[in-house]
Amino acid sequence: MRTLLYWFREAWANMRTNRTTTMVAILTTAFTLACVGIFLLLYVNLRAAAGWLQDDIKIMVYLDDRSSSEAISNIEQQFRGDRAVAAMYFISKEQALGEFKAQFPSESHLLEGLGQNPLPASFVVTLSPPFRSPDAVKRWSERVRQTPGVAKVDYNQDWIDALATIIRAIEVVALGIGVVLSAAAVTIIANTIRLALFARRDEIAILRLIGATTSFIRIPYLLEGAVLGGLGSALSLLMLKFLHELFRQQMQETGRLSGLDHLIAFFPIPMCVALVGVGVVLGCAGSFVSLRRFGEAKA
Amino acid sequence: MIQLIRISKHYDRRPALSNVSLEIEKGEFVLLMGASGAGKSTLLRMLIGAERPDEGQVFVQGKNVTTLRRSEIPYLRRKVGTVFQDFRLLPKKSVFENVALPLLVQGVSPSDIRRKVTEALRAVGVEHKRDQLPVGLSTGEQQRVCIARAIVNGPVVLLADEPTGNLDPALTGEIIELFKLINARGTTVVVATHDPLVMAQVNRRVITLSDGALVPEQKVFA
Repeated sequence: MRTLLYWFREAWANMRTNRTTTMVAILTTAFTLACVGIFLLLYVNLRAAAGWLQDDIKIMVYLDDRSSSEAISNIEQQFRGDRAVAAMYFISKEQALGEFKAQFPSESHLLEGLGQNPLPASFVVTLSPPFRSPDAVKRWSERVRQTPGVAKVDYNQDWIDALATIIRAIEVVALGIGVVLSAAAVTIIANTIRLALFARRDEIAILRLIGATTSFIRIPYLLEGAVLGGLGSALSLLMLKFLHELFRQQMQETGRLSGLDHLIAFFPIPMCVALVGVGVVLGCAGSFVSLRRFGEAKA
Repeated sequence: MIQLIRISKHYDRRPALSNVSLEIEKGEFVLLMGASGAGKSTLLRMLIGAERPDEGQVFVQGKNVTTLRRSEIPYLRRKVGTVFQDFRLLPKKSVFENVALPLLVQGVSPSDIRRKVTEALRAVGVEHKRDQLPVGLSTGEQQRVCIARAIVNGPVVLLADEPTGNLDPALTGEIIELFKLINARGTTVVVATHDPLVMAQVNRRVITLSDGALVPEQKVFA
């Protein structure tokens, strides 16, 4: 317990002695991690958006006009026995025409000129969650397309594919930027710890001579690195939260993405905790780098 | 207690110690004499594993220091107290905290730390300065605190490297008396010095080094 107190006191003393360096390290770490955080936030929100779209996906199974009512009934039976199908309903030719007229009243005269109803009957199918991935939707659609009586299977795959491509690109960019900026954060903290080690080199030499183990000497500096990384990460989250609120406010005021602003989410609490944890780990890594170099030179 | 077998050490091809062999028995008080650069400090540093010889072997209390792993060296140093010419006290810690440090690194309980530090400070005569910072002490008092730190965990060996180098003759006498007292309690004491005054005051076994080589022992007192 006393040893633990000693370690915390020493870590605190280091930070107090090098107040300016400590503040600069926390701020630069915060800005660095905030840059990573922006991409992470974008990624999280686009992933969520892709999830909503995927969950909301409705597959239109258009039927051949020449299909008999028996063939339609067979298709319905097939869907009811299919475990991939969560829900479905039938839209007859007449219902389709009625919906078209209701949705596009000014265009309804176009169909009247044709004499007969050109809109096909269809089933609107919602797939169960395990079958909602882009690949599963594609496989299911291709299978159904082969069914006798089915004219066409359609869903908003283009949209989902485009979003998936954007998400993949952001994933790669965020990962690349994350790695580079995390390395920068580690370097910043490593330099701060190096300064602390240099300032206390005589003290460290004395500790070695009186029988202190390497871990006893290192722990206060690891704690210092952890605090710098953790505080830097927490500050970056505060900065991001501020930017996030500002963005939402702008959206509300300008009326852009009206009604969607509440969907632009911030990191959930467990993720915030995890991100502070990542900051702590980066801080410890920075300390470790400096301690290893210092240890090799002075041991 | 201490055994050096054919020790040699070179720094940039310059010999610091050449083929040195010696033995120091348990409870002995030994003076290690020699001019500056004779190899006294190198020899003492080898006894605490701070230097490794190029050749030969060093034994302290039966342990071969030359083959100790780096992780084992702190445990050797806990049995060997060290006193320095420049005291090496932590300037921002009180006298009590400085002396408590060797116990703290060993995880000794707070009540034992209080008791042992008080005993050590009393033994060297600076108990009344326990709450002061080293900067407020005289050089003699700083050296006493350094000695208290070296003996606080009851080491089997006390090594002192030019402990009177910064002290006037009167203070030198006081510090030597302190070493004699510590030795009288059973601790093996090795004092490295170039000061003939110390030799005159100690009147014990003298080991002399010259240019890294052992000079045959000239005199042995009781």
